[in-house]
Amino acid sequence: MSTVYKHYRRATDLGTPEVTSDKDVTLTIDGKQVTVPDGTTVLRAAALDGINIPKLCASDMLEPFGSCRLCLVEIQDRKGLPASCTTVVAEGMTVTTQSPRLADVRRNVMELYISDHPLDCLTCPTNGDCELQDMAGAVGLRDVRYGYEGSNHLDTEKDSSNPYFTFDPSKCIVCSRCVRACEEVQGTFALTIDGRGFESKVVASQNQPFLDSECVSCGACVQACPTATLTENALIEKGQPEHHVITTCAYCGVGCSFRAEMKGEELTRMVPNKDGHANHGHSCVKGRFAFGYATHKDRITTPMVRESIRDPWQEVSWDEAVGFAAEKLKEIQKKYGQGAIGGITSSRCTNEETYLVQKLVRAAFGNNNVDTCARVCHSPTGYGLKSTMGESAGTQAFDSVMKADVIMLIGANPTEAHPVFASQMKRRLREGAKLIVVDPRAIDMVRSPHVEADYFLGLLPGTNVALINAMAHAVLSEGLEDEAFVRARCEEVAYRNWREFILDDENSPESMESHTGVAAEKVRQAARLFAVAPNAAIYFGLGVSEHSQGSTMVMGIANLAMATGNLGREGVGVNPLRGQNNVQGSCDMGSFPHELPGYRHISDPSVRKLFEDEWNVELLSEPGYRIPNMFDAAVSGQFKGLYVQGEDVAQSDPDTQHVEKALSSLECMIVQDLFLNETAKFAHVFLPGSSFLEKNGTFTNAERRISPVRKVMEPMAGLEDWEATQALSNAMGYPMNYSHPSEIMDEIARLTPTFSGVSFKKLDRLGSIQWPCNEQAAEGTPTMHVDEFVRGKGLFRVTPFVATDERTTSKYPLLLTTGRILSQYNVGAQTRRTENLKWHDEDVLEIHPHDAEQRGIEAGDWVGLKSRAGETVLRAVITERVQPSVVYTTFHHPFSGANVVTTDNSDWATNCPEYKVTAVQAQKVTRFSDWQEHFEKFEKEQIDLLQQAQNSSEKVVS
Amino acid sequence: MDVEKLVRMANQIAVNFQYDPSKKQAVDATLDHMSRFWSPPMREQIIVHFREGETELNEIASLAVSGLAEGKRHVI
Repeated sequence: MSTVYKHYRRATDLGTPEVTSDKDVTLTIDGKQVTVPDGTTVLRAAALDGINIPKLCASDMLEPFGSCRLCLVEIQDRKGLPASCTTVVAEGMTVTTQSPRLADVRRNVMELYISDHPLDCLTCPTNGDCELQDMAGAVGLRDVRYGYEGSNHLDTEKDSSNPYFTFDPSKCIVCSRCVRACEEVQGTFALTIDGRGFESKVVASQNQPFLDSECVSCGACVQACPTATLTENALIEKGQPEHHVITTCAYCGVGCSFRAEMKGEELTRMVPNKDGHANHGHSCVKGRFAFGYATHKDRITTPMVRESIRDPWQEVSWDEAVGFAAEKLKEIQKKYGQGAIGGITSSRCTNEETYLVQKLVRAAFGNNNVDTCARVCHSPTGYGLKSTMGESAGTQAFDSVMKADVIMLIGANPTEAHPVFASQMKRRLREGAKLIVVDPRAIDMVRSPHVEADYFLGLLPGTNVALINAMAHAVLSEGLEDEAFVRARCEEVAYRNWREFILDDENSPESMESHTGVAAEKVRQAARLFAVAPNAAIYFGLGVSEHSQGSTMVMGIANLAMATGNLGREGVGVNPLRGQNNVQGSCDMGSFPHELPGYRHISDPSVRKLFEDEWNVELLSEPGYRIPNMFDAAVSGQFKGLYVQGEDVAQSDPDTQHVEKALSSLECMIVQDLFLNETAKFAHVFLPGSSFLEKNGTFTNAERRISPVRKVMEPMAGLEDWEATQALSNAMGYPMNYSHPSEIMDEIARLTPTFSGVSFKKLDRLGSIQWPCNEQAAEGTPTMHVDEFVRGKGLFRVTPFVATDERTTSKYPLLLTTGRILSQYNVGAQTRRTENLKWHDEDVLEIHPHDAEQRGIEAGDWVGLKSRAGETVLRAVITERVQPSVVYTTFHHPFSGANVVTTDNSDWATNCPEYKVTAVQAQKVTRFSDWQEHFEKFEKEQIDLLQQAQNSSEKVVS
Repeated sequence: MDVEKLVRMANQIAVNFQYDPSKKQAVDATLDHMSRFWSPPMREQIIVHFREGETELNEIASLAVSGLAEGKRHVI
């Protein structure tokens, strides 16, 4: 795969969306015979054949609207001049798109538009890329007979409240494309046309500035605008891009495809790729706009070393840095043993980079102490799905949701964490699909414009398994299971065991009501809805996995899907919504200590031999430490060296004070990152990272889709991340000699059956590939387990509900649960360095009015939040979105210290932390916590030590 | 490592296998899980703790660790 620079030009727009039909229709357009699927519009049929009918209000991202009157055509034997965007093709139809009469009408229309439009084309930001300008040219506009002196909108004020785009109503032609994009593409309904006739204007919410409105800043309106009414500020400042490169977003697990639109090496704007298979031309505020971190002044671009974390950093060359690191690691192994060091791969880095880090650990470090941040998010998903179905991955493509009749959303908040998929899900809901939401908190999907859950099962945190068992009980006890599916596709003995277990009275909705807090009848009704639907699909997130029974719940979900026959076709399935961009990929690449790439256990001698032969090294047959085990072993003095690529464990992992103690115990920590993150403050070696714009590789999203990441600018620090890992390996004495990430992918393909057909060349051709991609599925696999499960027969696993040890007491009477917000991403290292701070500049504590009143807490008060692990202080937001006795916060800002409060409780099978349930007390306070005061002091000290390095480097240069 | 935490983890695993059809299957599943997912130093430490006698391990976990101590590994 090479970075293909394409000369900039606006993406092709065929006028109206694609339709599919079994029947084709042939018509004649301007004398040419054209054959298209039945239901296609005349406008699109013409465009598909290269005939461009003038248009302004039409876009292939939006349903036909028929307002601008430019796309009028003549149709034989039909009266008048129908709009081609709203006229569907018919067999034998004869269409004329250009005639003197049509030219007159179109010119008249354009005269009217231009009579109320500024004539500032030469200084307009969209000069050279304006559809209105193009149409003026296309219709041959030479004069405006109406003059420009009449009433107009030219003095209307601009709205510059949004940090990323400007709304200039003086340029608006009221085509409604922005309003329709907000409704149809994004599904937020924040925009409307206010007023009638000449007074018509686009307004946000209740005629508010964009920033104060319900607008989520996804940018769909900006992309849809055919004039300069809604324009990216970057474009206003920099002018039109001159080339673009297709690449993949580095934020969430949706994995949107983008056109990185460039001027030289400078990124002008990110425009979602209409051919993107995960996002179909849509994006969110992060992907489209929040890329400024990549060139932020805080980027560290020179390697640094120091003997102790109390020493100033010293800037050094790459050779010196990796040499220093390798020496330290070798000394540690000599002194404490081969197993005293390890590495953490990143879900933010590419497949090739994570593969290389686990290879470094297994081959160069000589142990299996490698883990990845999926440990603290979706490791139970991998365990649960592998156990029941045979593969550690979701079963569907995102597009499958468009065939779902019932959607059950469990412990996921897609409008905040997977916004582009949330828009697709909302689209399906507007088409009539039913929705069940299982969540302790009333997320937006419970009720928002044109979306309302049919059942909101607002359970207590920590009772997922009780609820899924109760649903299964309702299904079985009412005879709603899909017996034929179970008989044909699943292991019989295991099913009988599970059936007997589930049908026990203790699993009935009535028995479980006291645990979950959800009325039994409501559970039964939701279970009936799910079970009888032709297609019912389950989507879940970290609200499922981050529990002491995370793995049990994933298996419970799989059991329910199997029992109701909802697997193996479109519209159904078990769909984990992965948090970070490459969580799926980092797991696929063998980042877990017990598994080689492709989820094959390290104890399997035949698999080990495959890798040993390729890597020319002997591998250990026993699993290594998982991340929490590494920290525990560090605290007890058995683990002394750690290489962390692209992760910030000091902020993201639970029980911060324990993590800090562990990191402080290390004799050598190497951090590779864009910034001096919280973890790097405990490091001895800093290797500057490269952003997704500075390297080649691939990401794999939540639907197993491998998508290309392409370098659009040179790495600021000189090396791509994989090159830094390779340099470290060579310094450790284990040779690596890749010249391009494509060679790493070729090696992955040689060693991993599910990737055997993947190559950069094929990715260039297909755009993206869903694994498994091999001889049986040369172009990938959108739907898994079609004729049989990967493991053969599906395995029902018995899922007893075991209440978490993290229970409320008189000392800690509330339950804290944590989550994410739209504008920020994970630890916020990227998004806190963008204008997204305008939406979320601090983490807050959501508390129910009843609990607040009992404690004398008012909105905006500082609240001390204390658990058995620690204490932090957050500002209160009083809301009924959380239920009584439950509080909620996010963890995007390090000073907030959300994870100072979360505990070391974890999933029984995988050690995934129980972020979602912490017993706490909340009370009004007047000062920050001891930890926060310590944090501020340590932060200042570490910034000083960094500045000393930078100052001394400047002196040397001067 | 903190042996109390290892004991807690072992007990958690055992409790989640408690509904397996027989006690032997629950013990085997617990033992197998610890073999597949615990690093050798963790297993060694809990074996030493088990051999010392006083332990908070529940019955299934205790039998599983006993099996580990006898050198059993992947039993499923």
